[in-house]
Amino acid sequence: MGADHRVFLEATLPHLDAVWQVARQAAGEGQDAEDLVQETYLRAYAGFGSFRGGSTRAWLAAICLNVARSQARRRRRRPWEASGPALLDVVPWSGGEGAADVADVVIAGLDAEEVSRCLALLPEPQRKCIVLVDVAGYTAREAAEVLGCPRGTVLARVHRGRRRLARLLAEAGVSHGQP
Amino acid sequence: MDSHDRLLAAFLAEELDPAEERRWDEHLLECERCWRVVQEDRAGRQAAQVLRQPAPPGLADRVAFAVEVAAASGARRRSRPPARSRRPGRHGRWLYGRLAGAGVLAAGVAVTLMMVLLPGGNQADAVPAAVAVVARYAQAIPSPGPDQHQAGGRAAPVEVGRPVTVTAGGQRIVLRTWRLGGTEAVVAVSGDPFPMPAHAQGMAGGGMAWSARLGRLGLYCRNGPMSELVAAPVPAAQLAVLAARLPLS
Repeated sequence: MGADHRVFLEATLPHLDAVWQVARQAAGEGQDAEDLVQETYLRAYAGFGSFRGGSTRAWLAAICLNVARSQARRRRRRPWEASGPALLDVVPWSGGEGAADVADVVIAGLDAEEVSRCLALLPEPQRKCIVLVDVAGYTAREAAEVLGCPRGTVLARVHRGRRRLARLLAEAGVSHGQP
Repeated sequence: MDSHDRLLAAFLAEELDPAEERRWDEHLLECERCWRVVQEDRAGRQAAQVLRQPAPPGLADRVAFAVEVAAASGARRRSRPPARSRRPGRHGRWLYGRLAGAGVLAAGVAVTLMMVLLPGGNQADAVPAAVAVVARYAQAIPSPGPDQHQAGGRAAPVEVGRPVTVTAGGQRIVLRTWRLGGTEAVVAVSGDPFPMPAHAQGMAGGGMAWSARLGRLGLYCRNGPMSELVAAPVPAAQLAVLAARLPLS
């Protein structure tokens, strides 16, 4: 075996968990997250020679998102696009009357499946930022590197996305009769 | 987003200096709107974190193996001579000399890799990718001792390690290693049929079954609704007997 693949694995395998988090959320319908991780590593290995440093896990996440997107395109589906109507239009603004319970409802009724469903309803830029920062544990700077946008934009998107997610979940909690 | 919201976002990201942070703490005690925004942000973050899930236990092995196979097969490709060579201009002759030296070294390494990839290195090109991956995986199996070729007498098969899933040649394959007495074997299962290598032989009465020899490894394949490929360092005559004692689907 050549030495380079060992160097590659030493540099990238510590970030497997972060890539896994991204892959789970990026995998579209008909895509297997483990296959996506494997393909991400194979593409990363192929391009390892041209990797110019910086955050390794940011580089891996960017590859993972690209692979997910190109595979989804082949399937004529877009995993990052909202699959349902924009529920945000019907969710009341939190500053209004009766909004005091939003956070409580969300925290009380946390359910991964429901969170996943609501996350899928967020606009793509916000969803990507939430996945990278809150789910996969990337810093705002790393997420900015992955997405090719300023760090301040990531922070703003994360903030907006979290609030929308909280309101969507509160709405879902109320409509499902949860406290 | 106005400057107030930007500061609020920075506060939530815990990026304000201590003095600013203190000012925001005081502000939150008085401002109901900002307090609700903070609560929503924290609730959203907490909700998103529910989606965290540790990577499956076998994923690191699977990725490492896939990369190892890619490294070996990439080296094989590099070892082939280019279809046409280009002479460098004056400008690049020094570099060309250095690269040529490196190329000789790389070719040497690649030939070694080719030998490592499959025991029958000269057969490698005739072996489909899915079969080559199984054979490569089975290379780690130690050869049984001279008195252990009877596949462990009546011993029950015991699984060794964890299953590893790979995709090769567009085929999804689950690899398991079993020990039967002193003999170990890899059982590869796939929803797609394993292609028959050029030098393989169809087996009488076996429908789509075939067997092949790759160096010290014997391969036995049974293609049905699920395809199973057994790879073990045993004589060809014992393969079918060994396969019959392994837990195939």
